[in-house]
Amino acid sequence: MQLSAWESYAPTLLRWLLVGGGMMAMVVGLNKGLQFIGVRRETARGLALVSPWLLGLLIWNAFPFAYSFYLSFTKYNIFQPPEWIGIQNYVEMFTKDTNFWPSLRLTLLYAALNVPLGMVGALGVALLLNRDVKAIGLWRTIYYLPAVLPAAAVALLWRWMFSPGSGLINFLFQPFYALLNVEPLQWFTEPRLVLPAFVIMGMWGVFGANAVILLAGLKNIPQHLYEAASIDGAGTMQKFRFVTIPMLSSTLFYTLVTGIIGSLQIFTQAFFIPIPRRAGTFLNVLIYQEAFSFRNMGYASALAWFLLVVILILTVLVFRSSAAWVHYEGAKG
Amino acid sequence: MTTTTTDRAVAQLQPIVSAGRPDARYVVGRLVIYLLLAFFSLFVLIPLAYMISTSLKVEEQLFVWPIQWIPDPIQWQNYMQAFSSLGQIAPGLTFWRILANTLVITLLAMSAELTAVTLVAYGFARFRFPGRDTLFFVMLSTMMLPGIITLIPTFLIWRNLALIDHYDPLVLGAWFGGGAWAVFLLRQFLLSIPPDMEEAAVVDGANAFQVYYMIILPLVKPALLALGVLMFQGNWNNFMGPLIYLNTTVQFPMVLALKFFEASISNEAPKWHYMMAMATVMAAPLLALYFVAQKYFIEGLTIGAVKG
Amino acid sequence: MEKRTWYKFIILLLLAGLALVACGGGQGETPAEEPAATTETTAEEPTSEPVAEEPVGEKVTIRLSTWAGVEEAAELQAILDEINANETRFQIVHEPAPADYYTKIQTSLAGDTSADLFWLSQEHIAGYAQQGALLDVTDCLAASDNPAADLDDYFPEILKTAQLEGRTYGLPWIAQPVVLFYNTALFDEAGMDYPTAEWTWDEFKEAAAALTQDTDGDGTNDQWGFTMNGWPPPQMFVWQAGGDVVTADLSASPVDSPEAIEGFQFYADMIYDDVHTPPEAVIQEQGFGEMFKAGKIAMFMGGAADDLDRVEGMNVAVSPVPAGPGGRATFAWNASTVIAAQSENADLACEALVKLTDGIHHWKIVAPRLSLATAEGIIAAEPRKEQNAAAIAEAVADMHAFTIIPRQAEWDTIFWSEFMDPLFHDQATAEELAPEIRGQLEELLP
Repeated sequence: MQLSAWESYAPTLLRWLLVGGGMMAMVVGLNKGLQFIGVRRETARGLALVSPWLLGLLIWNAFPFAYSFYLSFTKYNIFQPPEWIGIQNYVEMFTKDTNFWPSLRLTLLYAALNVPLGMVGALGVALLLNRDVKAIGLWRTIYYLPAVLPAAAVALLWRWMFSPGSGLINFLFQPFYALLNVEPLQWFTEPRLVLPAFVIMGMWGVFGANAVILLAGLKNIPQHLYEAASIDGAGTMQKFRFVTIPMLSSTLFYTLVTGIIGSLQIFTQAFFIPIPRRAGTFLNVLIYQEAFSFRNMGYASALAWFLLVVILILTVLVFRSSAAWVHYEGAKG
Repeated sequence: MTTTTTDRAVAQLQPIVSAGRPDARYVVGRLVIYLLLAFFSLFVLIPLAYMISTSLKVEEQLFVWPIQWIPDPIQWQNYMQAFSSLGQIAPGLTFWRILANTLVITLLAMSAELTAVTLVAYGFARFRFPGRDTLFFVMLSTMMLPGIITLIPTFLIWRNLALIDHYDPLVLGAWFGGGAWAVFLLRQFLLSIPPDMEEAAVVDGANAFQVYYMIILPLVKPALLALGVLMFQGNWNNFMGPLIYLNTTVQFPMVLALKFFEASISNEAPKWHYMMAMATVMAAPLLALYFVAQKYFIEGLTIGAVKG
Repeated sequence: MEKRTWYKFIILLLLAGLALVACGGGQGETPAEEPAATTETTAEEPTSEPVAEEPVGEKVTIRLSTWAGVEEAAELQAILDEINANETRFQIVHEPAPADYYTKIQTSLAGDTSADLFWLSQEHIAGYAQQGALLDVTDCLAASDNPAADLDDYFPEILKTAQLEGRTYGLPWIAQPVVLFYNTALFDEAGMDYPTAEWTWDEFKEAAAALTQDTDGDGTNDQWGFTMNGWPPPQMFVWQAGGDVVTADLSASPVDSPEAIEGFQFYADMIYDDVHTPPEAVIQEQGFGEMFKAGKIAMFMGGAADDLDRVEGMNVAVSPVPAGPGGRATFAWNASTVIAAQSENADLACEALVKLTDGIHHWKIVAPRLSLATAEGIIAAEPRKEQNAAAIAEAVADMHAFTIIPRQAEWDTIFWSEFMDPLFHDQATAEELAPEIRGQLEELLP
């Protein structure tokens, strides 16, 4: 009954090739087909290029989204069929659930702190790593390390780093404690310190994906713009303000939007680090708890949709504001 | 004209070359950079040292307090034993099999994602079609529903395709445009590139495919490299998908196999030393990949900085 | 040009793919169907004989899902190998889910792809059974003559966690009583007598205080008599005081009874106080069980199977936990193997369940069966426990398990976050908190 490697890979490989080939064929075919029936060339091409995602949306997103929305109006314990209860989940969420408001507050506060700090931090790290310093490659790789460690290892590391007696954090803050004459902070056990602790942990994330992305964005800025600015007599700060930031703004916009979406959905770190329950839970953790620990799938779906609406509103606001500060060199229409 | 620097796109501390003065500022500037690099890297290196140190310890010494940085004795065997102990769970669960599993998932998913993402992002960035902006926003909103909630419905879809306990749920979906975040990122990159070169190429008689292949792709190389690295890493470290969709133990990728060393519900104590050994083994290829990729970031610039 | 070569390549790929699919005789498709196919060959009616339907030589696959970690899985596989070697009609395949176990099995159950057998720890069985996820095995157990199917041989306290309204839904495979591990060297150094089976709360508390010392003279304690952080379960102390947190008939949660309050307060008075036990921050830093293994804690209440008495260089002995004003009771953690109601091989699964359980009973300590929970039985299962087997066998008599309600997870959340958490952090006394908590807890009772 041993499943050999070939047996387990071959069927999937085959189907993967088929789907891939089919996808390509669809893009090309759709392009030709739409043009054939008279659609404008640009529209046909655009739609054809986007069609894999559209198809994916219909197959993979439509059903789960619709189903979870439906579930949010039901009582569902996974083992028995869902039972329609109307808007009761939503009512309970706002009025009866004592966990809800503290969790919402904690999650929003966390995002409010994490997003700006994260962006500034990632930008700083990217700028720092944009040097032509010796062995910069090595430095960049070192800085990328946090992103590649598995969550369990990271959780252990954080537990140690934050330990009040001998952890790295308190060790580095030692001069401040001495200066202000306070006791070393009791991270993770003092509820008021939970938010700062998670914000600090979130800062560690700046070394990872966002720094890589901003670094790529920096690399994308054409050199001649800086040269032209120098010729015009611009100093360092001016070059930063008038060349770097505008040229980077589309990438910064990306980190802002994904930062909002990501930080409001914080899960993994919160899952591994025990939080004193008085401090509240993060919304996504609450959703998971309701869904798989208590098996109140219906209620969990309602919470999830509420979170989606919150994220959506914030994202719309950010998009609206983008006209003012985001600069696209190559935008069309 | 005074020479411009040969430095890469540097935004700060850019010395203006003129007689005399810059040298001191230059040196101080460099020094500051080195100091900053070194200081912040402590936050990364110390945990890494702790991790490697734990991976080389004998089980009895794991929680000796205060922390013993250099293990005594140094158990290099931990790396081998971690994998051989897994082999006892299911015959056939060897290091090579686990590695192969991980690579199959990662490479198939990543290459499909990259291909699909370039197509879809290009469509959103450079072509006008009705409903484009709405569709783009719809795509973003697919990122906003917590994955926990879509876990069961998506599982039901795959179950109806009779593809549970196969790798398909983990790699086939990649063909459908990759992740929304990736499309978003690439679209942003594309939008920040002026269309001059493409228009020039069209005037010169290039067809759409040539424009895409010869002009656009090289210009977004940094972004593609970044995406590639991130996608590789995302699939390499993704454990929820494999956990939910794979039943047979010999199919487990490394990240899932690592979980065997954590504390179980039976309250068996976690095997930190094996866990850290495996985590190190998992991190190494990612770091190597990143090291190679980021070198090409630099080369990508020279192609993009075309003058006139 | 290049475009056309791309076209050709894609078309070739498609053709090759189609050819392979066609010629492979659906090779690509059958692996997906195989697990389903083998199970479909058996009949579903409980009355028919599975053996008659089965072509000779083709074994049915019974899938078993567990949460086992690396060592446990290896040991379990050895047991499975032995069962499979001696069984002609089925083979048990182990499918461990080492992380997020409950998410995995719940998703599988929702998607109708669940394993036939799976493990559930005590607090879940009632809920799953009530909502129809588990197979009622009462009858099939009665029909079996395997010793592990004899329900009378099980400790009633333990068996009840696998039962709902008189029907049985699984077989417990372990009942780990909590016992008192103690570091003999630390006792010798302080010139104190070892814990005995006659100890009460008072002697225990005194010893804990006496063994909490500042051994290196730097002003802070670095050795403690005992340690607690929510473990051992506070409910155990409530039982020892003569109270209970959920009545046997599931009708009330008398957490505000005088006995219960006494138990909770005893617990709260000792936890994190740096007079008997280490402060919370120290435990966070140095680990909980790890501190005992490092020789910093004199007494530790742990499961009988824990490896605390196998630390090299330490001589650790075991004694039953001290008795409270209401008598002696100890908490027994247990888990059962259950059968999914959606399993397509109900009869064979039941047989597999019984054989598997018997195998586990001879491996784990302590087996939840009266006939095996003796000192000899313990040593036979785990020779490394020889030194302490007698003490463990003594503790077995006092085993007491949680009384589980269907909404146990929510009950636990309120119990811990609204009651225990503030209590441990000295924000209120048990007497102040209990009456209000009682109301909240009782809302969740069936």
